[in-house]
Amino acid sequence: MNESLINPFTLSHPTAVQTSLFAGALFAKFDPTGRFIASGRLNGSAEIWDLETRAPIRWLDGHVKAITSIDWSRNSRYLLTSSKDWNVIIWDLSSTYDPPQRQKSLRFDVPVVSASFHPKNSQIVLVLLATGEAYVCDSRKQHRTRTELLEPLPDEVEEDEENAGHGTQRAGMTVARFDPSGKNIFVGTDNGYLLVFNTRTKIMIGRHKISGAGIMKGFDFTRSGRRLVTNSSDRTLRQFILPTYPSLPVDADLHNPPSFLDVELEPTHRFNDPINRTAWHAMCYSPDGDWLAGGAADPAGHKIYIWDISNDGAFASALDGGREPLTYLHWHPSRSSFASTTNQGSILIWHCPNPERWGAFAGGFEEVDENVEYEEREDEFDIEDEAVQFERKMKAEEEEVDIDTVVTGTQAAVVSKGTHSGNMGGAATPIGTGNGHTMDLDKLGSGMDEIIDIETSWAEEEPDLDIPGGWKMKVIMESSEDY
Amino acid sequence: MDPLAGMDDSSTDDDTSSQTTEDDPQVPENQVSQPPIPVVPPPVAVPAPGPTQREKPHYALRHTLRGHTMSISAVKFSPDGKLLASCGAEKMVKIWSPETGEFLRNLNGHTQGLSDISWSSDSVYLASASDDTTIRIWDVETGLTHKVLKGHTKWVFCLNYNQASNLLVSGGCDGDVRIWNTAKGKCIRTLHAHMDYVTAVHFNRDASLIVSCALDGLIRIWNTSNGQCLKTIAEGHDAICQHVQFSPNSKYILSTAHDSTIRLWDYQTTRCLKIYKGHVNTKYCISACFSVTGGKWIVAGSEDHKTYIWDLQTREIVQILEGHTDIVVAVATHPQQNMIATGSIDSDLAIRIWVDPIPRT
Repeated sequence: MNESLINPFTLSHPTAVQTSLFAGALFAKFDPTGRFIASGRLNGSAEIWDLETRAPIRWLDGHVKAITSIDWSRNSRYLLTSSKDWNVIIWDLSSTYDPPQRQKSLRFDVPVVSASFHPKNSQIVLVLLATGEAYVCDSRKQHRTRTELLEPLPDEVEEDEENAGHGTQRAGMTVARFDPSGKNIFVGTDNGYLLVFNTRTKIMIGRHKISGAGIMKGFDFTRSGRRLVTNSSDRTLRQFILPTYPSLPVDADLHNPPSFLDVELEPTHRFNDPINRTAWHAMCYSPDGDWLAGGAADPAGHKIYIWDISNDGAFASALDGGREPLTYLHWHPSRSSFASTTNQGSILIWHCPNPERWGAFAGGFEEVDENVEYEEREDEFDIEDEAVQFERKMKAEEEEVDIDTVVTGTQAAVVSKGTHSGNMGGAATPIGTGNGHTMDLDKLGSGMDEIIDIETSWAEEEPDLDIPGGWKMKVIMESSEDY
Repeated sequence: MDPLAGMDDSSTDDDTSSQTTEDDPQVPENQVSQPPIPVVPPPVAVPAPGPTQREKPHYALRHTLRGHTMSISAVKFSPDGKLLASCGAEKMVKIWSPETGEFLRNLNGHTQGLSDISWSSDSVYLASASDDTTIRIWDVETGLTHKVLKGHTKWVFCLNYNQASNLLVSGGCDGDVRIWNTAKGKCIRTLHAHMDYVTAVHFNRDASLIVSCALDGLIRIWNTSNGQCLKTIAEGHDAICQHVQFSPNSKYILSTAHDSTIRLWDYQTTRCLKIYKGHVNTKYCISACFSVTGGKWIVAGSEDHKTYIWDLQTREIVQILEGHTDIVVAVATHPQQNMIATGSIDSDLAIRIWVDPIPRT
């Protein structure tokens, strides 16, 4: 509602740097509400910046070595940091103490490459270790487990894999991510395979060869979970439309797994830098899935390439962010904005600059693009009876006005579902949480989410305390020395 | 083409409305026909048969809080409802308990009189705007100043926290609107908003917009994040607006003006939806409030020493509170209970607390 006042013409991708935060960061990620940005530092501390005041508000000190990844829970209450010091720490940001309290620590015996929350329950965490192993750690009382995700090797039962005679080695896992629904875990390996595991049972349900890829380096999903873009060591970004995986029966067992989908996946589009063949540090879809931004690993400058997916993947523009090379890129969850991190630690926030409308300073002034020929109405200069005018005014004022109901996040998404064609990532910003389903090229994904199935109900058993609107970031006033 | 030639009575009801004011509203075609004399119409939603009365409030005086020695300028309830703060030409903020009516403490520190106060959402901090050009953020429990915000060049007239309480917006008599980072106490942005005293500033629910009004007669809406002006609403020539605020769902703006009218605007279409009349307001800056704890009312003070309560939808006066002996400048409504606090000036330096004992519908 406020967006229509602010953005009369919505350009769908950012074009200029709005502000620069000197954060000393290795990388920075927005939270799901879009109000904060979390950054990880080389010395092991994490910082949370408030975008409204553009100042840091929380400092999370718990690690002793560099932070390797950060993840926010779905309503931004919990923050997860993983580090080279073998630990994953989960922080509760609703705590009123400063420094914030740790909710939990997960300890491993090798450096942790990445970690992320399950999209529906922050008590389920996916962890990828430097040895190429991936674990799903579930800390709910009924399901307390730490399970390794293992690719089943041919002609073998699980227990025999230790046998020295077999030469088949499992490929090391290099990327691991939940898909947006949380039902599946996608893992990339160092030999160019994409493995898909079912989260609930940890059974592998798909294995896809991606020819020419080399080592898989990164994934990003569209919000509906139907499309995936991969970054790999051959310096090419590939977009895939994911196949539908058969749903597993309730009693599917890890030791007697049903067969998995073993097909090679063909990308719909390949994105690369044809001139310089630069590699990519990070890539990100826009919230509506219509744009793809790729942060180039260009050592001489800060370059972000944007492709228009809705226009068949055509190259849209290359943004220049100055002389400090880029290290990371993250798109804002609801606005047309992204945050790119430079190797000097600065976080650049990009936006679509809105030129100031000077007509707004005059009441009743409407700016138009072209001259409008004014046509007088028939009754333009009729002299109306005062009483009739007054009566009409009183009649109009009888209409009921609702000053109370607030259109919240999910309701706003329902509103936006109806206006499919016009929704380009700027309109219908939900008030509060950014949990609305946004549009995608095919609507199958969002339709499937409505069905409560075994996978979702398994994930939502023993829900965590991350309720939308159920917590507040306390404003911690800096202590003043003068009084 | 002689405009006077065809003076037949065929003016249809769906005239296109003009941009600015409320004079030519767009009338929907399927409106139930009502006589111009304001009788009590049965509301559409209520299914009861026969002549139904809309409910009326029955506020009665509960406490009279005496203690101020100079004119009161503002009263505000804390968001948790446990405290009432008041300020005035005396240089201190007074904290009272609205339940018992007792005085709790003074917040001392300003060197000149105060014009406005605002509570943070956790009811722990209070910000006050003073004629000494500073804003102080107080820790209410201890009574100590936490921060002094300097930057305005003239008297600070009005201020408000946002819902998240990380931002403060203030308006000064130099025409500037300033946005402050409360955690650090620094000014983030200055908007040269008006040409005259800025009399009211308010954030909307998600703090993306700020509405401001000034004695130059304009109401302006600003984008918080980049400080751009989004819209200007100008009332009639004599209707100098002196107080504005967003409705609880931030879709509408309530403005009080010096032509003794209160207007409810839809700022998206710049249409005035409701007009409330009956009180007197031609000189002083008197605030108005929404009351949503019981029935939906508009509450405002008046220069005839009374406090008026209107029904939001029908715009009728449903109750008049008498008791003050001077102009009622400050009004506040309790966030959870049916309670109103009113403050007066000069000869009557009392704050009166009125309670409607009928439980919420």
